[in-house]
Amino acid sequence: MNKTIYQNSILSRWFIGIMSNQKAFTGSCIILIFALIAIFLPFFIQSPTDFLGTPLSPPSSEYIFGTNGQGQDVFAQTICGARQTLLIGFSAGILVVIIGALIGGTAGFYGGRTDDILSLLINIFLVMPGLPLMVILASWLPPTPGTLLGVLVLTGWSWNARVIRSQMMTFRNRDFVSAAIVSGESNIRIIIVEIMPRMLSLLASSFIGASIYAIGAQVGLEFLGLGDVSTVTWGTNLYWASNDLALLTESWWTFVPTGLSIAIVSFALTLINFGIDEVSNPRLISERLWRNEIPKDMVSHGITPVFNHHE
Amino acid sequence: MSKPLISVKNLSVEYITDTVPIKAVRNVSFEILPGEIFGLVGESGSGKSTVVQAMMRILPPPAVISKGKVVINNENIMEASKADIIGFRWKQISIVMQSALNALNPVLSVREQIHDVLDTHKGINGKKADDRAKELLSLVDINYDRLESYPHQLSGGMKQRIVIAIALAIMPPIIIMDEPTTALDVIVEREIIAKIIELRRELGITILFITHDLNLLMEFADRLAIMKNGEIVELDKVKDIQKGGKHPYTKKLIGSIPSASGKREKGILSKPDSLDSPKSPILEVHNLEKVFQSPGIFNKNKIVAVNDVSFKIFKGEIVALVGESGSGKSTIAKLITRIMRPSSGSIYLNGKNKKVTESRSVPLDYRKTVQMVFQDPFGSLNSIHTVYHHLARPLLRHGLKDQKEILSHIIYLIEKVGLNPGKKFVEKFPHEMSGGERQRVAIARALSLEPQIIVADEPTSMLDVSIRMDVLEIFAKMRKENNLTVLFITHDLASARYLADRIIVLKNGSIIEENTSEDLIQNPREKYTKQLVKAASPGWLNSLSKSS
Repeated sequence: MNKTIYQNSILSRWFIGIMSNQKAFTGSCIILIFALIAIFLPFFIQSPTDFLGTPLSPPSSEYIFGTNGQGQDVFAQTICGARQTLLIGFSAGILVVIIGALIGGTAGFYGGRTDDILSLLINIFLVMPGLPLMVILASWLPPTPGTLLGVLVLTGWSWNARVIRSQMMTFRNRDFVSAAIVSGESNIRIIIVEIMPRMLSLLASSFIGASIYAIGAQVGLEFLGLGDVSTVTWGTNLYWASNDLALLTESWWTFVPTGLSIAIVSFALTLINFGIDEVSNPRLISERLWRNEIPKDMVSHGITPVFNHHE
Repeated sequence: MSKPLISVKNLSVEYITDTVPIKAVRNVSFEILPGEIFGLVGESGSGKSTVVQAMMRILPPPAVISKGKVVINNENIMEASKADIIGFRWKQISIVMQSALNALNPVLSVREQIHDVLDTHKGINGKKADDRAKELLSLVDINYDRLESYPHQLSGGMKQRIVIAIALAIMPPIIIMDEPTTALDVIVEREIIAKIIELRRELGITILFITHDLNLLMEFADRLAIMKNGEIVELDKVKDIQKGGKHPYTKKLIGSIPSASGKREKGILSKPDSLDSPKSPILEVHNLEKVFQSPGIFNKNKIVAVNDVSFKIFKGEIVALVGESGSGKSTIAKLITRIMRPSSGSIYLNGKNKKVTESRSVPLDYRKTVQMVFQDPFGSLNSIHTVYHHLARPLLRHGLKDQKEILSHIIYLIEKVGLNPGKKFVEKFPHEMSGGERQRVAIARALSLEPQIIVADEPTSMLDVSIRMDVLEIFAKMRKENNLTVLFITHDLASARYLADRIIVLKNGSIIEENTSEDLIQNPREKYTKQLVKAASPGWLNSLSKSS
């Protein structure tokens, strides 16, 4: 009956629900493996910036992913690149959701003038062309990881704010919110304790979506040389591979490990999103169950199938 | 005895899930004779709509028919091919759906929608189709100049008539009506039913009528089947069921219908003595007004939801606010509970002036005095919180600190609203309880602060008929024991009369008539009140068809 344990149990119940879905579970495992590798493996391998051997030597027993144009170990670069790329990607994801929830949630809950002003702000950021703005900001500001994070959040928060705002508006008029008002609860408490837990799935999938976007955009910016090219990230790995004419020299090992990692991480995040979708919308699962057993034309004409009616 | 037009034998419908299939309908059998009005009654979730949708095979997967045989007009529906089924629909049997108000396509005119049916099934178009459309509209008493109208330009009753006209378009021998009047106001509902009966007489169609409202069906059906949990528990002629029914469930259903005519049989508890010498009212409402303005800078649409409403409620009184949807009764509830701010007017509590228009924040003291019970117990409880949370929060918020004290008070409250043992319910989530149990928890929440006034906004309209009276009894009991004042908001005159001492009739945001319950029902003064009373009395069908 302890209140804090009880609050936790909402989150944990939700989490267990999501993890019981196969897709979400698989996706989370992949992300977890990447995260563990990114956090711990760099301590055990050699520095990715050391010049070690012959430039552009193909994978061998010594360097399992080969070396790049500067004679650096591609394996070490891929592992260490994961660190900053994932850190910035997920931080941007979290910030985007927090800002989206704050601005969108406030606009949706309070309505009226507050909503008018905040909606205007959201709309301005929505219509701003994200990519050019990102390129301009990234090239104009000093190229630090912080700048990159700022640029990604600035260009990414508005869509989430919009979605959270409309969800909040539907909850705002539900009876359970009115009931909480009548029992004397404060607005802040209503938002945090009564409404936000109901939006967990939306917030989680917003976070996942924003993270995918942030990782992609970040890699893109760095590939264009708009990041800090002296750091090791997946984006700069690709930048250097392209600078060293990896395609012309047919040294595929310099970009495939990084490219594949980005693809796998995005894939895993998308899997989690599908999983959240299925858990919060059970119809999607049931459709998979019967899709193969029932003739397609029956389904498309909405005819109720008959099973073993002959007795 | 003639051959049945529809014969359903041992029909079972299941829903595929990832574990065990859910059996929605089990071994349902009935026959319908030509020209008959056959009623299918059941509470929500009883499987009545599933039966008819499976009969027509329009129930999409994951539903499957697992057993049974359906023969309609000599055709075995279970063995028919896809093409047969598509050809069969509408020509042999048409259906008026539950949410008929949304059944019309909002971007097509009435003419286009009627033409559509005629063209698809009979290949009639052009001038001929126009003539037929006019004929159909006159059948349902709608002027043919409405052909060019779009659904949003029509009232609920008119839309319903047009949906019926479309169902009649190619004169199928059978029409299924699935809750065709549920979304309509009671007076309009009665008119539509009278029209349906008239059409049946003129055209000789067979009608399968589905509803949750046994009272309604008993007025005009020939035979009826009562469903519960996917099974038919009783099937008989209406005349025989009227005598009381055989199955205990039928008995409970019939016993739970309050009446708006004749003598008040079940006297709800008499009013307390203190009422006879009222000193000052506990709640006074003066010239209350609420205007809704469409959002946006350029939009100047104004809707007056509550217009110059004034009334007084005395301590220990139960007052009913009766009105149709859109009459502003729920808005008044929200204004009094101060969920919403009025555009003008004032509310006085205990003689003290609470100028609601001045302060934005509502003092906790007011919250403690005035509580509310909402219509929909599915919506008014937060699905992610336990009963404990719902009942403990108001107590915590209003200063109770001791965990033990809170728990014992919660159990006391739960038992007070008739959920025994209270301990069992404390840790339950809303989805683990039935609708009736949920509403009791919602009432317990409203009672938790020992308020002086409870505003109950249609507290029983979302509940199954058989438990409505029990929930109303809770309010009566609380009034007797705690001298609680209740403002009971409802669309149903009969239940208003059952519970309330005084009734206020509301229409279009204004008060039409106000009187003690018995006087209002026995001698209504206004025309509108008379219509309401007539529509809520048994035998309304005869009086309606006589007058028309």
